[in-house]
Amino acid sequence: MTGDPKIRAGTRTGASASDLGETEQEFDMDAIVGYILLIGVLISLVLVVAALIWRWIDTGTLAFGYKLTGANLFQLVVDEVRLVMHGMLRPRLLLSMGIAMLMLTPFIRVLVSMVYFMAALKNWKYSLFTAIVLLTLTYSLFLR
Amino acid sequence: MPHISFELLFPISIVAGFVGAMAGMGGGVVIIPVLTLLGVDIKHAIAISILSVIATSSGSASAYIRDHITNLKVGMFLEMFTIAGALTGARITLAVSPRPLYIIFGLVLLSSWLALFFGSHALAHTGPQDKFTEWLELEGSYPDRVLGQTVHYKARRAYFGAPLMYMAGIIAGLLGIGAGAVKVLIHDLIMGLPPKVSTTTSNMIIGVTALAGASVYLMAGLIDPGLAAPVILGIAVGAFLGTRLLVRMSNQAVRRFFLFILLILAAEMIVRGIRGGL
Repeated sequence: MTGDPKIRAGTRTGASASDLGETEQEFDMDAIVGYILLIGVLISLVLVVAALIWRWIDTGTLAFGYKLTGANLFQLVVDEVRLVMHGMLRPRLLLSMGIAMLMLTPFIRVLVSMVYFMAALKNWKYSLFTAIVLLTLTYSLFLR
Repeated sequence: MPHISFELLFPISIVAGFVGAMAGMGGGVVIIPVLTLLGVDIKHAIAISILSVIATSSGSASAYIRDHITNLKVGMFLEMFTIAGALTGARITLAVSPRPLYIIFGLVLLSSWLALFFGSHALAHTGPQDKFTEWLELEGSYPDRVLGQTVHYKARRAYFGAPLMYMAGIIAGLLGIGAGAVKVLIHDLIMGLPPKVSTTTSNMIIGVTALAGASVYLMAGLIDPGLAAPVILGIAVGAFLGTRLLVRMSNQAVRRFFLFILLILAAEMIVRGIRGGL
């Protein structure tokens, strides 16, 4: 079962192929997952820094005195999108967006992994495992 | 809760991230004791720390995954258990009083410390793969730059590793830390993964596990954005600097110095938990 090179692609792939003397050039899932994590975290940090700079220019202080009370991530994101649509982009909104982006990053990583196990590898076992992780996270992040 | 200025908390968080990375642990184990010393309630400190754990673990996991060292299958399989554990752990934190949290934090830090100080990698050895782990396709290979060759490995005893990872998830969710030392120990000793694979895969698992815990703390309203901003940024900067320096450093004495700081923090948390009057 593990003889199928595609099945093993999740753990051993692409960029190292030349070092390993392999000829097959596979779709490099590791690179995509890696970049999702990197870009997600960077966007989130940039949003937090932007919020702080804006706050400082506006008020001369770096303090934020608000709370994210009892919201799940879904409500948080929806509220933020609504405020942006109304042109209400403010420092604290940027900060909340930074926190939301940070929390969405691992979630998106799992989502993309599931699509990969399902569509590219057609590995039902790992599609199921990833789906369980995704459903648990979706429930705890968006539905409660 | 006291107001702590950005100008104070940002540099402190850089140091926390730096010390954590130099000692081979995350920033969470340093920032939580420090925040509580500054007067922040321990549950708020845990909630903020777990957010910063998402940032640092995802950041460092990124490079390892792209280098094909991380085993995505081992990660995905074990994440099912750590996430469930983190949800349980975070609920427990919401329910209990602060004192046991201090004591448990101290004890976990102390045992991680022992694991790091004495090292566990030497004990890892490969044995025959059992049927269950084989069915899970938990094997792989990675290019080892030091050895200059590709290392092939087969994991084993996933049936034992999984429930233990649930426990590691509880610790992570309960205390707002990555609990990387615990996870690496399980990967090494129980599942027989090569050290490089176990540390990098644990790094990837830590991110989603922290996310599960963070979702509970977000709902409970424990995430204070004003405190979170300097801590997330500071720990990210400190951890980045620390890991860069650690790679170049061959001197064990320096690392032991930073480990010693963690030992003091562990002892101090236990003492405060026992004494009470926090």
